[in-house]
Amino acid sequence: MAGLELLSDQGYRLDGRKASELRKVQARMGVFGQADGSAYMEQGNTKALAVVYGPHEVRGSRSKSLHDRAVINCQYSMATFSTAERKRRPHGDRKSSEMSLHLKQTFEAAVLTQLYPRSQIDIYVKILQSDGGNYSACVNAATLALVDAGIPMRDYVCACTAGFAEGTALADLCHAEETGGGTALSLALLPRSQSIALVQMDARLHQDHLDTLMEAAMEACKGLSKVLDSVVRQHLQEVSVLSRD
Amino acid sequence: MLKSKTFVKKTRSGGVLKIVREHYLRDDIWCGSEVCTECKDDSPVLQRDAFIQSRLCTYPHYLIPDTNVVLHQIDILEDPVMRNVVILQTVLQEVRHRSAPVYKRIKDAIHEKEKHFYTFTNEHHRETFVEREQGESANDRNDRAIRVAALWYNQHLRKAPCAGELRVVLLTNDQANKEKATEDGLLAYRCEEYIKSLIGNPELVDRLALTSNEQNEITGGRVLFPEHLPLSRIQTGIKNGTFLQGTFRANRDNYLEATVFVHGEGEDGTEVLLQGLQNLNRAVHQDIVAVELFPRERWAAPSAAVLEDDHANDEDAEEEEAEKLESPALETSMLKPTGRVVGIIKRNWRPFCGMLTQSQIKEATRHLFTPADRHIPRIRIETRQASALVGHRIIVAIDGWPRNSRYPNGHFVRNLGGAGDKETETEVLLLEHDVPHQPFSKAVLSFLPRMPWAITEEDLKVRADLRHLCVCSVDPPGCTDIDDALHCRELDNGNLEVGVHIADVSHFIRPGNALDQEAANRGTTVYLCGKRIDMVPELLSSDLCSLRSNVDRLAFSCVWEMNRNAEIIRTHFTKSVINSKASLTYAEAQMRIDDATMNDDITNSLRGLNALAKILKGRRIEKGALTLSSPEVRFHMDSETHDPIDLQTKELKDTNSMVEEFMLLANISVAQKIYEEFSECALLRKHPAPPLSNYDILVKAAKSRDLEIHTDSAKALADSLNAAVLGGFPYFNTLLRILATRCMMQAIYFCSGMDSDFRHYGLASPIYTHFTSPIRRYSDIIVHRLLAVAINADGTYPDLMDKHKQSTLCNNLNYRHKMAQYAQRASVAFHTQLFFKNKGILNEEGFILFVRKNAIIILIAKFGLEGTVFFKNKGKPGPKLSFDSEGPSLTVEDQHTFHMFDKVKVTVTLDASNIQHQKIRMALVEPVIAGVSVAWPEPAAKKPKLDR
Amino acid sequence: MASVQISEAEKVYIMHGVRDDLRVDGRGCEDYRHMEIETDVVSNTDGSAKVRMGHTDVLVGIKAELRRPRPNVPDEGYLEFFVDCSANATPEFEGRGGEELGVELSNTLYKVFNSHRSLDLRSLCVCPGEHCWVLYVDVLLLQCDGNLFDAMSIAIKAALFNTRIPKVRVLEDEEGGKEIELSDDPYDCLRLRVDNIPCIVTLCKVGHRHVVDATLQEKACSAASLLVAVTPRGAVTCVRKLGAGSLDPDSIFEMTETGKRVGKALHAPLMELLQKDESLGKKRQKVGFLA
Repeated sequence: MAGLELLSDQGYRLDGRKASELRKVQARMGVFGQADGSAYMEQGNTKALAVVYGPHEVRGSRSKSLHDRAVINCQYSMATFSTAERKRRPHGDRKSSEMSLHLKQTFEAAVLTQLYPRSQIDIYVKILQSDGGNYSACVNAATLALVDAGIPMRDYVCACTAGFAEGTALADLCHAEETGGGTALSLALLPRSQSIALVQMDARLHQDHLDTLMEAAMEACKGLSKVLDSVVRQHLQEVSVLSRD
Repeated sequence: MLKSKTFVKKTRSGGVLKIVREHYLRDDIWCGSEVCTECKDDSPVLQRDAFIQSRLCTYPHYLIPDTNVVLHQIDILEDPVMRNVVILQTVLQEVRHRSAPVYKRIKDAIHEKEKHFYTFTNEHHRETFVEREQGESANDRNDRAIRVAALWYNQHLRKAPCAGELRVVLLTNDQANKEKATEDGLLAYRCEEYIKSLIGNPELVDRLALTSNEQNEITGGRVLFPEHLPLSRIQTGIKNGTFLQGTFRANRDNYLEATVFVHGEGEDGTEVLLQGLQNLNRAVHQDIVAVELFPRERWAAPSAAVLEDDHANDEDAEEEEAEKLESPALETSMLKPTGRVVGIIKRNWRPFCGMLTQSQIKEATRHLFTPADRHIPRIRIETRQASALVGHRIIVAIDGWPRNSRYPNGHFVRNLGGAGDKETETEVLLLEHDVPHQPFSKAVLSFLPRMPWAITEEDLKVRADLRHLCVCSVDPPGCTDIDDALHCRELDNGNLEVGVHIADVSHFIRPGNALDQEAANRGTTVYLCGKRIDMVPELLSSDLCSLRSNVDRLAFSCVWEMNRNAEIIRTHFTKSVINSKASLTYAEAQMRIDDATMNDDITNSLRGLNALAKILKGRRIEKGALTLSSPEVRFHMDSETHDPIDLQTKELKDTNSMVEEFMLLANISVAQKIYEEFSECALLRKHPAPPLSNYDILVKAAKSRDLEIHTDSAKALADSLNAAVLGGFPYFNTLLRILATRCMMQAIYFCSGMDSDFRHYGLASPIYTHFTSPIRRYSDIIVHRLLAVAINADGTYPDLMDKHKQSTLCNNLNYRHKMAQYAQRASVAFHTQLFFKNKGILNEEGFILFVRKNAIIILIAKFGLEGTVFFKNKGKPGPKLSFDSEGPSLTVEDQHTFHMFDKVKVTVTLDASNIQHQKIRMALVEPVIAGVSVAWPEPAAKKPKLDR
Repeated sequence: MASVQISEAEKVYIMHGVRDDLRVDGRGCEDYRHMEIETDVVSNTDGSAKVRMGHTDVLVGIKAELRRPRPNVPDEGYLEFFVDCSANATPEFEGRGGEELGVELSNTLYKVFNSHRSLDLRSLCVCPGEHCWVLYVDVLLLQCDGNLFDAMSIAIKAALFNTRIPKVRVLEDEEGGKEIELSDDPYDCLRLRVDNIPCIVTLCKVGHRHVVDATLQEKACSAASLLVAVTPRGAVTCVRKLGAGSLDPDSIFEMTETGKRVGKALHAPLMELLQKDESLGKKRQKVGFLA
């Protein structure tokens, strides 16, 4: 079989999207009753659950606590059935540890941690189904969960990936596009200030292309932020209707 | 933002993995027709007035071909008559999976504006997407998708207010599909049906590929060949070792025999012998096939016989085949693994050049076509213009080879012209060697600089102005694409400054544009006798880039400071502007150097260069560089008819090697620099050391003259070649070097990030590249770009830094270079034939270059011409031969023993009995062997000019 | 195990309620909480189901892989269980916190389900001694609010019902070499018979009585509970005592009887629901976590 054609001459991608189009995004806040905040996020076939506990006292050894701000504690894991080939363990491997660290860094940049000295905020994310852009789905889900938990943030954190094919930047890659060659860039953006909370790219890319790629990723993040915002507003409306009764 | 409305999931099991992909359906995919008012297409592709005159469709119509029509009738679709065709995405994807070459061709057709081919992305259109149903095969689903899309077009166009009678017509050769389409109310025709109905273009019918339906009519039901196994069975067999996979190589001289080269692990591969049409089982040269080995007792030895498939009539020749196969040799040592083809893994058919053998029945429309390439079997084609095509070179494509047909079926593609015509033959050899030679397209030419062109102020600002230097170029006579120029002057400190100035082609050819892509594809300029196929348009090659004398030209200069011992003290690269003071030929330059009375700047510069070159050459040879030799000939062309009137071997002067020496030095300096700067993506050239066994023949040959050749290192080889001189036989050393050349490997381009062995064996250099001929080699353009980045004279671009892309490029360049060489040789051979055509029979002296079992190969030094004297002729009992492979020597009739390098006299004639394969025939005159040698012919009345 | 701490007064309140067959949330002793079951929620698994029971949330994904059969039963496939007690359920499970519980749960599930009495393991064999299907049953615990076993067993049964294993053929050539060929038709797949698959009913001893589907609070009042696996026909396939306290033989007998009765009654509506869902085919609206 010939390799995949990531972008057809007519400008359509493998799944029928155009270069700058996002996958279908669906999200819901407050999926769980027990946690302080929770959210579920779908970006195409990538599905993530995020749960937030806290702020609460620092668990375990007190030495971890910081006197001027809250500790952000993240754990990323993947359901063993989330990938095409079954994973042997949900977390603890190098990749999930790295992902946990990235999430921690991302949210340290966004949460107003100085409001909660000597406390801890737990963010647990779980990938239920993986189809590319795991990191971004996790960030977006965690943002909603944080909002659900009522933890103050500078801004929504929106994350998205972008890749490159035939000299065109593609937004929000699916798994086939991520593995189909070329470069993938993950970017987490605070849309209002246009500042970048995290950017990561593992493959080689010629410098000339970096700008277009970043541009595409940022555009995609802005698109996502609109979706997240509408999800939050809708959730608030539902909740307020319920509480009025 | 997100335009997708609904989506369906598509699951696909690969292995046992369940893979889920999203599939978005859209509402914004346009139909692409001019008449449509509903779609918001800015530039519709399909014309309002889609009119091909057809008896079946008397109204304007768009054509929708199904996958098989595209795959098999691409020759028809490519014809300019065929316009306004809708290529469905379903079809395009299937074609992509099934045939890469056809995919490329259909894509080219789609890109061509005048063809009005439109790709309709039906798989993502909300109304034309179909989901596979229970019990439906993938093929059936695709057929249904095609019908649904066609139906959609019909309904969609009917809504357009001014569509008039515009209809869509489905072309399909599948009976079931056609019936279903008609049921659905679609217009569906078989491709043949439709093409035959065309009023204005009856000649298209000839180009129809024969499809399976018709094959049955051709040769009754008789099955001649065993069935090919399905791919899954083949793969299983290969995995468990019952079958072997390899490349099928037909025997040129015996159509009943072939070998399959099985790629083994590492270097070695095995060859499997195949004999008999049944066992060859419809494989064609270069196909990838699966073979099954016979048990040892059925192994056979390759037969030495020459068998040409020359039946006048095509039908059913197989009864004779059995007896033609010689009885197996009894010597067990001669037996080779033997087997049969069980299946074809990949066909490697291409269009073939050749000639038509007209059927003896006058009104017949089926004829046999004989390809020029003798590896390829004859092909049966159907044509009504046979009488017009006889004696012409034509191109034919194979469509298939059914089990009940003695020959593959094909169709006529193009007529090249009369056989033997110089133009036609040149065209043939360009096509057969896959040399791109069409005129440059408008798109390519649009990237040429506007005339009048002049060097601008900006150019001068960023370039070193070297116009004051006394630069000159030295080239062969008649050279118009001057790549390189040189200068040499004394510096104040007593050292010498030497400059090599190379045409700055990369200034004009910017990365990625059409001009660049075209040049990258061509890879090299191809020099044929009397014709040059340029890599870049003439404006660049012969004017703006060519470093002609007395005009300002942009150059890329490599300037060294050297001491008198030719040791480099400093190397400097710069983009520059030069003004050559003289364009000299090798001979002119040599005359200046030799003429003591001349003392001008140019001459002094040349003398300085010459002196340094000698030192450099000495040092290089010291290190073990090889000086090899090949008999090169030049034709003197008649200036009006362009017919060759004389030929002479190339003469080497000091100045040749002077220029060469500095080019080598520049190439090495540049190679070092770009590798230093870009260790991952430097484009370099290497020449691997040949395996020692390659030298066997050379060592044996020298031994027969009591000389020893050492082959353990390049240096040892060079030294022993130098020492191998025979008194009274001055040409002996050259002959040895010619032999040595044949032992060598091909030098190749490669990307430094993809390989670890960089050595150039022949030049004895640890690193090497090509920098000095950017006008005629694309490799040099890349090297120029890399060097320009290294010295901050230019920016990089993504593909330049991508080692995989560069590696792909290298593969193409290597391929093009190889093919260019072959084409060049073929051109020389053709012109040699032209030359001898008018000469009648010539008597010449030559040397034996090789001794074979039944022949000797003779080199006539004067013409650089090689020919074979056979001692056995087809069908005639030959003389008694005894061959000694150690010598190697051949004794004929116990009278005379031939050794390598023996001097012999032969007659040379042109054998034009087979118009497609004219060849030079040689016959032995001296030594005289009764029954073998021929008598001196009558001295020609008109002495050939050549003997002067 | 996830737990809550409650005061003595609360305990007494709960225990009195149970005595009167009126539990804190208004249920009787043999009533289950409101249950939500959805199948085919994770599209890249071969079978999946999500069960929510009060605040207990379980997601099960099943993936079939071709493996070599176990040497002692060369003509059977087998099941593998893995329970992921994720930190999403409670921060206590963070890191390796949930591992111990996970192992305990998966071992119990293995004992209950991996038997040719509950599932026709032979049908999972592709080629005796060489290839068989292994069903990896992965349970993901998303929220714990007591009665994990019951929720898991229902989810597993539903997921097995939902499982579609691609059909394979074994091609044999003359040499005896075997090659697995996947069916080209995506509709052509192997379904599992779930008729004999048991459900687990956990009975929690509260005071002198026992309750079905205990919440965390109720559990805190109880010293021991009994796990009973019951097939649709009412056969008990597994009995297991859980927890720290002890139980007298009489109450074990009593609890088993209750388990049988409740379990048998549980199967019928479950199957009915699953079949109804299935009959909707592609028209069924998938909800998952979005509602």
